[in-house]
Amino acid sequence: MKRFLLLIGSILSFGLLAALIPHSSSQLQSSIASVPQPLPADPAVLRGLQSQYKSLKKQLAQFAPHQHYILVDTARNHLYVKRSQEIVLDAIASTGSGVVLDKPGEGNTQWVFDTPRGEFTVQSKLTHPAWVKPDWAFIEEGLMVPKNPADRVEQGVLGDYALGFGKGYFIHGTLYTRLLGKNVTHGCIRLNDDDLKSVYQLARVGTPIMIF
Amino acid sequence: MPFMPLSIILSALLLFSAPGWAADGEVFPDLDANDPVALQEGSRVLEEEVKLAARPQTYLLIDLVSGGIHIKARGVELHRLPIAAWTAAELSRLTGTFRLIARPPVVRRKIDPSATTEQEPISLSDMPVEYRLSFTPALTMDVESAVEQGAMEWIRATSRKAWTRLRLWKQQLGGEPSLNEAPTLTIALSSEQAQSLAWSTVDGMPAIIRRPSEP
Repeated sequence: MKRFLLLIGSILSFGLLAALIPHSSSQLQSSIASVPQPLPADPAVLRGLQSQYKSLKKQLAQFAPHQHYILVDTARNHLYVKRSQEIVLDAIASTGSGVVLDKPGEGNTQWVFDTPRGEFTVQSKLTHPAWVKPDWAFIEEGLMVPKNPADRVEQGVLGDYALGFGKGYFIHGTLYTRLLGKNVTHGCIRLNDDDLKSVYQLARVGTPIMIF
Repeated sequence: MPFMPLSIILSALLLFSAPGWAADGEVFPDLDANDPVALQEGSRVLEEEVKLAARPQTYLLIDLVSGGIHIKARGVELHRLPIAAWTAAELSRLTGTFRLIARPPVVRRKIDPSATTEQEPISLSDMPVEYRLSFTPALTMDVESAVEQGAMEWIRATSRKAWTRLRLWKQQLGGEPSLNEAPTLTIALSSEQAQSLAWSTVDGMPAIIRRPSEP
């Protein structure tokens, strides 16, 4: 009990101390000799700094996509096609569920069903794609993985189009449109038929896909 | 026909000006172009960002001046998380590019192939609202909820703030800061924004910080 009271006392004293010490961000900043050192207000120096800043700004702008690019918000399950600042298409999507599945016979290794984050590009554009079911598609349903590759092929489940962006990940259609807006996939990005068609038409091989 | 030279000139002007104009977004709209210190800091951050934007990756720009965490790629802002408040003990060491080495832990649900019901997917609401991000070179970023709930959370948050301030006092009294200790940045976000940041971070994600120039 004594120890508990001592602990509470210490915490409250700590809190009181915190309240007494200056605590706004600006007060903290002012007490730190940290920010860039002030420069003399020489017009030539100022011009030099302005020109350096402008040049860097220009360099940065050169990296921005100048054509359409695809932006995917996996937290809110939205896919956008943008061109510069303009939103050309805003589509409700389904992205990775984040759940895991044990790989049988491989110790502690697992499949993690996340949509990968980062920057990718459209690597392939397919029409009437067939789904070649990977091992996990059988294992998660408690089925045996088929030995014959032809037994893995399933038609008509990915919609009319698919855009591959590497490592087996695709933007494709879905039969489960009621699940759009939710994190339910194995990492692919699902869209409804109309939005998928628009993305297929707007994107070309090489179009950047930015996923966060 | 007399309008032809004029239209040629106009066309040429449009042709040469359009790409530059289209690409020339203001990176730091709040930057005072007549403030040499702000320009120097803006250029320092841009220099770092140019290196990051040259590669296919997403990165964080933590802008303590405008009060936002920007998730970016290729210099393009993908998403912005407004900062409610922040404190930092050693701003002088918050330069360069930091890489995320430890993300907040996420409890992932496991698929049971023998079960008849489907596993619930993880969602934004499964993400923590208070957590620590560790970077290399050494930097600790504590993310806390802007709306503190309950006495225990208040005590925890206040203790953490007190610790940061005590470290600052120690530095001021003792002169040079200890380089062995990681500088700490504490950022308060709304619960949803904190969860959103936890969701979007990936291992090795680079981060750069823009510091205020006003003393």
